Amino acid sequence: MRVAVVGFGQTPFRTKRKDKTHPELAFEAVNAALEHAGLELKDIEAVAYGSMDPFDGIYCPERWDSTACGLEKPIMKISTGGTTGMTTALAAYEHVASGLFDLVMAVCVQRVGECVDAQPVLNTAVDPIYERYSGLGAIHVASFQATAYMAKYNATEEDLAWVSVKDHKNALKNPYAHIKMDVSVDDVLNSRVVCSPLKLLECCPRSDGAAAVIFASEDLARKIRDNPAWVVAETTISDSYYLGDRLSFAEWDSLAIAGRRLFRDAGIENPGKDIDVAELYSPFTIQEILELEALGFAEKGMGKEFAREGVTFMDGDIPTNPSGGVLCTNPIGATGLVRFGEAALQVMGEAENQVDGAEVALSHAWGGTLQFHTLAVLSSKKKLG
Amino acid sequence: MEVKEFEVWWKIPFKHSAGLHATKFFEGLKEGKILGVRCEKCGRVLVPPRAFCERCHTETSEWVEVSDEGVVKTLTVTYMKFTGLPDPPYAVGVVKLDGADTGMLCFLGGIDLSDWRKVHETFKPGTRVKAVWKEEREGKITDIEYFRPLD
Amino acid sequence: MRIGIVGIGFTEFGIHKEPFYNLAFTAAKRALDDAGIERREVDSFILGGYDNLGVGRTISNMYTAPAAGAYLRHEIRVSDDALFALPLAYMRLRHRSDVTMLLAFGHSSETPIELVELQSLDPFFHRPLNLTLPAFFAMQSYAYRSRYDVDDEKLAEVVVRMREKGSKSSLAFLRDKVKVEDVLNSEIVSYPLRKLEMAEWCDGCVALILAEETVAKRIADEIVWLDGVGWSVENYYFDREFHRLPFVTKSAEMAFKMAKKERRDVEALEICDLTVDYHCMILEALGFAEEGGGWDYNGDVNSSGGALCTNAYGSTGVFLLANLAMRIRKGEIDCGLAQSMSGYAQKSCVAILEG
Repeated sequence: MRVAVVGFGQTPFRTKRKDKTHPELAFEAVNAALEHAGLELKDIEAVAYGSMDPFDGIYCPERWDSTACGLEKPIMKISTGGTTGMTTALAAYEHVASGLFDLVMAVCVQRVGECVDAQPVLNTAVDPIYERYSGLGAIHVASFQATAYMAKYNATEEDLAWVSVKDHKNALKNPYAHIKMDVSVDDVLNSRVVCSPLKLLECCPRSDGAAAVIFASEDLARKIRDNPAWVVAETTISDSYYLGDRLSFAEWDSLAIAGRRLFRDAGIENPGKDIDVAELYSPFTIQEILELEALGFAEKGMGKEFAREGVTFMDGDIPTNPSGGVLCTNPIGATGLVRFGEAALQVMGEAENQVDGAEVALSHAWGGTLQFHTLAVLSSKKKLG
Repeated sequence: MEVKEFEVWWKIPFKHSAGLHATKFFEGLKEGKILGVRCEKCGRVLVPPRAFCERCHTETSEWVEVSDEGVVKTLTVTYMKFTGLPDPPYAVGVVKLDGADTGMLCFLGGIDLSDWRKVHETFKPGTRVKAVWKEEREGKITDIEYFRPLD
Repeated sequence: MRIGIVGIGFTEFGIHKEPFYNLAFTAAKRALDDAGIERREVDSFILGGYDNLGVGRTISNMYTAPAAGAYLRHEIRVSDDALFALPLAYMRLRHRSDVTMLLAFGHSSETPIELVELQSLDPFFHRPLNLTLPAFFAMQSYAYRSRYDVDDEKLAEVVVRMREKGSKSSLAFLRDKVKVEDVLNSEIVSYPLRKLEMAEWCDGCVALILAEETVAKRIADEIVWLDGVGWSVENYYFDREFHRLPFVTKSAEMAFKMAKKERRDVEALEICDLTVDYHCMILEALGFAEEGGGWDYNGDVNSSGGALCTNAYGSTGVFLLANLAMRIRKGEIDCGLAQSMSGYAQKSCVAILEG
């Protein structure tokens, strides 16, 4: 069963949405998606809901938020770390792809701003028996990648800074983005070091907000809109738990494996040529570089050149994160769904920062301590090739 | 209208069982030994030890003592204070101990941490390091205070 | 296309001193052995169980996915009682999987679950009132008992019957029989609920190997078919009727419709009786007993002992389902229904199995 995205809605993402409660924020995103699709809540048959509870201080928030998603609809709660938004999208997608439902919504809500500090929460993901004492969080593991990559491939601090310059420039065009400021390479280099070698302007903010994506079966999708975004292929991959078991910090090999599988399913031979735009989950500058290499857009060790050379800018060959990306907006459990929704908008031709003529878009999220990846290819065409 | 905010804490106690494998590892630390397990299928020595090899999906039972010296694979020095986490600056890294096939997360230290570039130079990937043990050991992961550069 | 269960693996259910991922590994291994397949033959892993406060680790599948055998494989976790992950496994199989593992993990012994569940209430209107799970369950018990004038002794007899069944099951956590007086004399937890009228927390994992029909037939001779699944949610706010569980009815209707079955086809039930009152209310909501008459139901229900004997927070629903599947496999029954419930009696999931 072919499945398409027929609606995407998001709230503006801010440091803190003091004006709304948890379900009210869900309601805002749900309504935005319904409006985009020209549907009503009663049309939706089932809901997949994603969030990473502890950032918001509400355990199993789908219980409260189900009030905003249509009472009594079958609802399924997904939590898989940073990939949550995309695995929630895939769960909703499976509802339709299985033939059980025709119209299903993925909803993700996250209020990182409600949590006074996010790093201690991220630290609770780390094994309390062997590793938690170290204070390890997401930023530390990204810094591990940066240290190893810079040593192995002689990448410079400037190389990384260019990724930040590019993302911030893109975010200025996106009214939903959280951090909006024009930054120069010097600004990035002069911002304080958080976890060496990464500096403040190389790290994502903590954002409040919600997103919703509506999936439809083939026949319905065409009736709902002329320009649905077809889900061409999707995959997830799960690696071993311990960081120390994956010693190639300078390469993201689990993503390379997942990418190979995805492109084989999608019929993509040359990602750099066949994919028009990518929304990658890169809350830290270094990660976009590793992702571009793992996914085959860049040769190993060459990803560092891409932002500096303009390849990933809007007018480059591989526009990456036109939305401003995760570096400028990170409502953790909703972030993956924003990537997915933004990728859908690009192939619908409706993105705020539109890549001209985009027909094929890639959406990605990672989670755990570099342990999980989720990927999808969306296209204006039902099938590639 | 000023929106009300309520400060709410999650204060939930946990008692995490380490299980037999990790318990044996912690007993080893008390004696100044670092223990790993060898997967009989792939032959890798896994440190810290665990009850099963994730790659082979088989149980592990063969115990191996590994060295308290090894090689730095990567590191970072933290300069920002995060609630409830160690006071900055502190350096964490992944060290592959001699005799082990996997890396272990640990603190790096024994030098001034104020300039990260110097720290990264001292501990750059490939640097050999040695464990500095606490004098009074309690069978906890922090019995190894940190790893220092091996001269 | 049908989806069948071809492998089942249980750990012991009790209070464990091994971390939950080691138990998960054991269950996964046993399920693979039971199916006679290697983990590499499993293309998708769907996990079910709670997160963060529920097991003391945020992103709990970081631990349980490798334990299941998901190394470099497709894996998604449903964060709920694990029976709610069954629909995702089912849909994945219908869509594109040949063989999927459903891993259910439950671990209650490392933290006070009542305190954990309390955090699911919003921090403004409900949580500050400290309405604990047992207190909420008791409110429903009170509404139920007073509405139908149900005698405490009749309910105690239900507990006695269930504990008797649990005593005969080698998989059950509580295996001591109790007498009516024991139940009635047990401590009041929250009026009118007594300790022995409630499920007791424990630890344990279950793994199932599910396969698409043609693949399933290559793997096993005795296949238990998953004919239908249904799931639904009740209003979070308390503007609901406390003496009945309409969302349970709704989840069952969805499952029956998908399975093209009727109540009379079902020979045995496994239901998530977190309290003795829920035992009755669920039977009533499923249409197997008259409203107010659940205590008098003399059909084949909870031969496993039910949640009243085994309740590992996170895996209970799949524990019940797996017990039902084992009976179908042994040929004791042809068709059965398993049900689970989570939250402040807010969500229900139903599965219909057939030999």
